[in-house]
Amino acid sequence: MKDKFSTTEQIELTRRTMLQGMAAVAGTATLGGAASLAPGAANAQGMPLVKAYGVPTAALKDWSPMEASIGVRCELSGTSNDVGVFMRDIMASNLGDSADLFIFESGTEDILGPRGFYAEIQTDHPELSLWERTSDDWKRSDVVTDKDGTQWGVPVIGNADSFGYFPAKLGLDADSEEELSWSLMFEDENTRGRVAFGQGWAYSFPSAALYLKSTGKADIGNVADMTGDEAKIVADFLIERKKAGQFRTLYGAFEEQIQLLTNEEVDVINCWEPAVREANLVLGPDATRYAYTVEGYFKWGHGAYVAKQAMERDNVDAIYKVLNYFLSGEYRALQARDRGYAGPNMDLGVAYAEENGWSQEEIDALKATEAKVAKKFSKPFVSTTTPQNSAEIEDQWQRFLNA
Amino acid sequence: MTMNAEIGSPANARQENRMERPSFRLPLASLAFWGISLAWFIIVIIPLIILFVYSFFTTQYFQTVYSPSLETWTSLFSSGRFEVTLRTLRIALTVTMIELLVGFPFALWLAKGNVSKLGRAIFLALLTIPFFLDLSSRTIVWRAILGQNGLVNTILISTGLTEGPVDWLLYSEFSVHFGMIPALFPPMVLPIYMAINLIDDTLIEASSDLGGSPAQTFSRVILPLSLPGVMAGFVFTLGPALAAWVEPGMLGGGFVNLLSNSIESAYTALRYPVVAALSAFVIGLLLLLLGMMMLVLRRFGGSGLTLR
Repeated sequence: MKDKFSTTEQIELTRRTMLQGMAAVAGTATLGGAASLAPGAANAQGMPLVKAYGVPTAALKDWSPMEASIGVRCELSGTSNDVGVFMRDIMASNLGDSADLFIFESGTEDILGPRGFYAEIQTDHPELSLWERTSDDWKRSDVVTDKDGTQWGVPVIGNADSFGYFPAKLGLDADSEEELSWSLMFEDENTRGRVAFGQGWAYSFPSAALYLKSTGKADIGNVADMTGDEAKIVADFLIERKKAGQFRTLYGAFEEQIQLLTNEEVDVINCWEPAVREANLVLGPDATRYAYTVEGYFKWGHGAYVAKQAMERDNVDAIYKVLNYFLSGEYRALQARDRGYAGPNMDLGVAYAEENGWSQEEIDALKATEAKVAKKFSKPFVSTTTPQNSAEIEDQWQRFLNA
Repeated sequence: MTMNAEIGSPANARQENRMERPSFRLPLASLAFWGISLAWFIIVIIPLIILFVYSFFTTQYFQTVYSPSLETWTSLFSSGRFEVTLRTLRIALTVTMIELLVGFPFALWLAKGNVSKLGRAIFLALLTIPFFLDLSSRTIVWRAILGQNGLVNTILISTGLTEGPVDWLLYSEFSVHFGMIPALFPPMVLPIYMAINLIDDTLIEASSDLGGSPAQTFSRVILPLSLPGVMAGFVFTLGPALAAWVEPGMLGGGFVNLLSNSIESAYTALRYPVVAALSAFVIGLLLLLLGMMMLVLRRFGGSGLTLR
């Protein structure tokens, strides 16, 4: 997801996954050497290998369904979601010499594509069979194309972020799907002093800009890529709200999102959807909700990008099989079920679940995810990790933090 | 003959050896000095020069622009990063001084007080335990204790001491100081304890025998001899306090933006020149501070710490 905050979640998820994996490995080991000679394991070792580097959110909790489906193994080396770290690794460390695929949030393709670190996607590659049926909303989005429209990536997952809230504290029904205004975050008297706001500029700044733009309080062109002057207007607004005591805290990590909700330290928080889910596991169903908003969402997506050097290697077909798998129903269903994230071809995900005997509850949850995403994605805006004026924006964000 | 016999005697041979040794050692010592100086220059000074030079470049769209400019330095002021540096320095010095005020008496008691060997061993073990625990895990616990619905506020409200939760317990400079003090206690205490422990008890007894009051013994014997430990404790505490990241992040609630948070934010936009300027500025301040400390300690007799 966004900036460094997602890092923690991804690391946490990875930790959990890793622990589960380690437990599984330990269990396997106790069964003796015979287990390692199982046909599946032997087959997996003989499969073509695709090495990926990127955020672990895109990884399946278990890659074996993919191996069974397309006969390719994938090894993902995880990184944090810090775009600076990610781009430094690719540019300065020549990771393309060893990695075939890069998976990251939208924005890096605008820089690393034209500078020759990513290979342009061959949309007519025979292994990319699902490309044609994938909607342009996903495959031609800013997540995977640059400003000239060049196709640098394949969409993997995405979501539309808003804020979590306590319906009871705001006087709303627990099952309400009413669209709420971002004013609850920034200007509502009832929430003053009870709001948590993310302290990463890439994640939080655009949401405030979206609110100001939508309510006509500021004239802003592209909220995802503000000019320095526009960023100054938003910073001034946030400083004023900060001094008015609107924010209880400016949080910095995914664990904090969960803690702030479960401790009921705040009533409203701009956060990821999984934080609300985690909080509800502690507080009870629908104790907190993830808002549908009036003004729009922080829409984000992860893309898979092919390393330029990989096109000279002998596993290009395997790479494209993995790219195609990211568009498939199996990947979509597994990702939606395990992480709650959406992506292209959600209908294929539902079809996969129905064909493979998933429970009605799981199928309904997939359909709900599909409907939810369709509703949210009809509104602005698509985020980027690499705004043109990042230096000026970061400076203005510092001004807000230091005020 | 006599002279020859004298020259050839064992005593003279030892004398000659003593005479020769310096001539052998001098080039080696000189070589070592220049070798270490060269290594120091390459490993420490050159990177610092590069750092300083880098601070005069700028960043545009995640790319460093290698054309000299003062823009990065001026942006430190317009973005409030200058205040961040001063705030960091202020908080780090405050924490260090609190540690010193609390840590010195504790170290003195531990080293020269009426503490059994077992008791001393237990306290020393307790002081080292934090080094084996993750700082984040130790710090995040305070949020559950100091929060609006935390233990402290629950007690305050239930006992009627306050009507509502006390907000400043968490997400404030108070909570950042509060989190840093226990974390940085061992780096201050341990060097002071080592220095005081090395003071020969007979010196303290001699001071007393000569009619010195406890205050005079402390100020004229213990304090000067413990200054190397104080200096080490000061540096070991101030350094991590300046680089504090976990406590301001977890307990400051984003309202106590310190240097490390500011540098991290700049790094997310690959703004190396800003990072370089901030680092150069802090290094300059630190050198100034340590220079002043050297002068003060020299005045109080901490000869082991000075360049004399």
